[in-house]
Amino acid sequence: MSSVGGGTPITGDATMRQALSQSATVPRRRRSLGTIVWWVIFLAGVAYFVIPLWSTFMFSLQAEPFGAAYTNTLDDPQFGSTLLYSFVVGVITVIVSIAIMVPTAFWVRLRVPRLRRIVEFVTLLPFVIPPVLLVFGLIRSYSSGPLPLTNTDIGSSALLVAAYTVLSFPYMYRAVDVGLRSIDVQSLTEASQSLGAGWFRILWSVILPNLRVSLLAGAFLTLAIVIGEYTIATFLARPAFGPYLALIGGNKAYEPAAVSLISFALTWAAMGVIQYIGRGTRISVAGAR
Amino acid sequence: MGRRAILSWVGVVPFFVFSFLFLIVPTLYLVVGSFLDKAGAPTLQNYRDLLGEQTIRTYMNGLEISAVTAIAGCVFGFLLAYAVILGGLPRPLRTALMTFSGVASNFAGVPLAFAFVFTIGRVGLATVILRDVFGIDIYGAGFTIYSKIGLEVVYFYFQLPLMVLIIAPAIDGLKQEWREAAENMGATPAQYWRMVALPILAPPLLGSAILLFANAFGAQATAFALTGGSLDIPTIAISRQIRGDVLFNEGLGYALAMGMVVIMAVSIGLYTVLQRRTERWLR
Amino acid sequence: MSTMQRTATRRAGLLTVTALLFAACSSSGGGAATAGASAAAGAWTPPADLLTAAKGEGTLSTIALPHSWCNYGEALSSFAAATGLKLNELNPDGGSGDEINAIKTNKDNKGPQAPDVIDVGLSFGPQAKTDGLIQNYKVSTWDTIPDTAKDPDGAWYGDYYGVLAFEVNTKVVKNVPADWSDLLKPEYKGQVALAGDPTVSNQAISGVWAAGIATGGSLDDAAPGLKFFKDLNAAGNFVPIISKTANVASGETPIRIAWTYNALADKDSLKGNPPIEVVVPKTGRFGGMYVQAISAYAPHPNAAKLWMEYLYSDAGQNAWLKGYCNPIRYDAMVKAGTVDKAAQAKLPDTAGTQLPTLDQITKASDVITKGWASQVGATVK
Repeated sequence: MSSVGGGTPITGDATMRQALSQSATVPRRRRSLGTIVWWVIFLAGVAYFVIPLWSTFMFSLQAEPFGAAYTNTLDDPQFGSTLLYSFVVGVITVIVSIAIMVPTAFWVRLRVPRLRRIVEFVTLLPFVIPPVLLVFGLIRSYSSGPLPLTNTDIGSSALLVAAYTVLSFPYMYRAVDVGLRSIDVQSLTEASQSLGAGWFRILWSVILPNLRVSLLAGAFLTLAIVIGEYTIATFLARPAFGPYLALIGGNKAYEPAAVSLISFALTWAAMGVIQYIGRGTRISVAGAR
Repeated sequence: MGRRAILSWVGVVPFFVFSFLFLIVPTLYLVVGSFLDKAGAPTLQNYRDLLGEQTIRTYMNGLEISAVTAIAGCVFGFLLAYAVILGGLPRPLRTALMTFSGVASNFAGVPLAFAFVFTIGRVGLATVILRDVFGIDIYGAGFTIYSKIGLEVVYFYFQLPLMVLIIAPAIDGLKQEWREAAENMGATPAQYWRMVALPILAPPLLGSAILLFANAFGAQATAFALTGGSLDIPTIAISRQIRGDVLFNEGLGYALAMGMVVIMAVSIGLYTVLQRRTERWLR
Repeated sequence: MSTMQRTATRRAGLLTVTALLFAACSSSGGGAATAGASAAAGAWTPPADLLTAAKGEGTLSTIALPHSWCNYGEALSSFAAATGLKLNELNPDGGSGDEINAIKTNKDNKGPQAPDVIDVGLSFGPQAKTDGLIQNYKVSTWDTIPDTAKDPDGAWYGDYYGVLAFEVNTKVVKNVPADWSDLLKPEYKGQVALAGDPTVSNQAISGVWAAGIATGGSLDDAAPGLKFFKDLNAAGNFVPIISKTANVASGETPIRIAWTYNALADKDSLKGNPPIEVVVPKTGRFGGMYVQAISAYAPHPNAAKLWMEYLYSDAGQNAWLKGYCNPIRYDAMVKAGTVDKAAQAKLPDTAGTQLPTLDQITKASDVITKGWASQVGATVK
């Protein structure tokens, strides 16, 4: 396939640069044919994603009077309170997770590369343990003894944050790791140190800003997990959104459809906003994993 | 020198302490519990039960569903991601897809199960349209959403976006220059794919497929919401034992979980190995 | 440094906006149904000393009490209004097994995860007593509870019973089934479901048993029930999922086997959208009783006792009656004239209902839960 711009036969890779400049224009016809295929694939994907949401929406409209499923939901104080609780827990989880992960990944990369395998293994453990067992273990461990966290509301919420932080490890670590890989950690650190910065200053003022996009990616995945999570929140008896969803799913007919759509839309909007904040950077937010 | 060595561990201490407190300790309960019987005495019976015919079937079901959705998710996720990244589609579509995928990959449990029941359930929107408009009666032909196939269709909803998210950076890393260089050396698109793109993409593709597999294998909420515990897969079997099923045997539940842990650990191990291969090319 | 500040400010702004957004969503209509706290006839006065002790504890932790089940919503809010106690409601979707499990898991835990009181199927009571999970307590109206419905030591005590019925979505099902054997007809293909998991849920186990009684079984023989469901499954009429209100309303499982009180409560809440008909089957009328008990590890034992006093007072019993449940002191209240006449009139005709004894239940539960998987094999394939 020769380029339109009068291609000169290329011999060997010594003329790579020439090839690049000459091949800048791809023949228009071939591009649009290929593109049609991709459009079809894209639209098929969109259809698969949208149709179940649309069906849910149509079902939610069957409540009478028109739109009752939505007004009932928004009028229900528990909807707002559980969503807010989960959101706040999510934000705190993100902060804790970042606070633990960034120094750790940074340290591993800089100082103890040997530990990398172990750290990675530990961060992948949450994938392996079913949440129902994790929460049972947590309750058994922390309902008495040196750290009776479950005995109080605030302690239980703290335990919830801890559990969610653990669940976020795989995503956060990979996000931070990918981010660190794209910046020259060694030079940045040395430069900062030569300017007299201490560790905290380095992390806070130099490393963290450069990780902005990766952190946002990890943050929004974590947030999505927290808001939808059910098992751990139920067994720790927390007023979170997941249990609320299951509750009305069990007892009401049309409201569950409305609630899941609203939460889907809100989560999407929140992530869109986060994406907007992270705009203007080359790396796509999808690079989380 | 010794002091420096110790100090070099300081940075990772918070992580290890936190992991120990909230991850290792609960896991220990799991491990220890799998070796105890109902009365609390040590036993290997739970593990022996794992080899029973019923349990083997349970695991096979889980493995089958996970493998099918992993492969399907891998193929279509790759195609979809490629479409928005290198397929010549407008740039905003990529952003929209990525954001949506972030949400959809975690859309699971009750809302997802219900959404599909509303779509392809017995009186779902799509079922009705197919029947009344196109004359295709899927239920008449024997399909039901309450089946392994039905569950796979539902699982696909979070497998697909997960794949899109994971493979996007790899596709990003597929430098346009390589393609153009290949073309200038006379390669056809097929050759480009066969000799340049696919070999580079093979490790991340395989790695992602494995991750998808692990993701499906560990899923519980959606399966439970859709089938109410009558589907025979490991995660549901475990929760039945733990939740106080009349056939209640906690130790067996833990042993089942340990079996899951082994399968997942192997998967994650393979994924990690493949990740290293990926990194080499897509730095 | 300024970039960091800008980012931080932007982040803070985002959080505030989102939080405000969510808060706005919740602030509308905050006055949720404190169902005109039944200051109705026979309002309950809490016994003074117990009230003081309970107030010291401050909270009552309940578990697995959906608000639409036997009108628990009104019972809970009336109780809270009369005593000023805070309510901590756990796992409303749980089954009897989950409640027992919650006590076991939280033995050492005095926190909000541990339930004070449980409401479980009759068969779960004696086992819980043997396992040492519940404590004795005899309410002030103890003597008016029939002897067959309580543990002599006061460990557990019957609270209400209902009869199994068919909850039918008449928008989808034009020809309403009248009896168990009707369910096997081909016109109901893919339409019949239980309301729970027959290896865990009392309601579902009872459903299987009742079907058996109508087709050749009896209170002493539950095996025909398994055969019935095996046939139902083979005919393709049975949908092996846990059917909820939404499943009936959407038409997915338009025939659900549930207690009369649940079916009637659904009928009320759906308000004709879609229309629901509750059919008590002609034969095989099976009554199931639930029992109350206080956890032996209850973090708030006095609040628990106070709650029991409320439930077994006329006011509490009438609250259940309004939820279409037959409260256990029904006969005594009818005699004393304290029963809520309006609610009484709404009860469906359930003449000929058989109520099993504890031994029969234990035996039948055993047969059904152990035989379900192998004999009926109605798993999702």
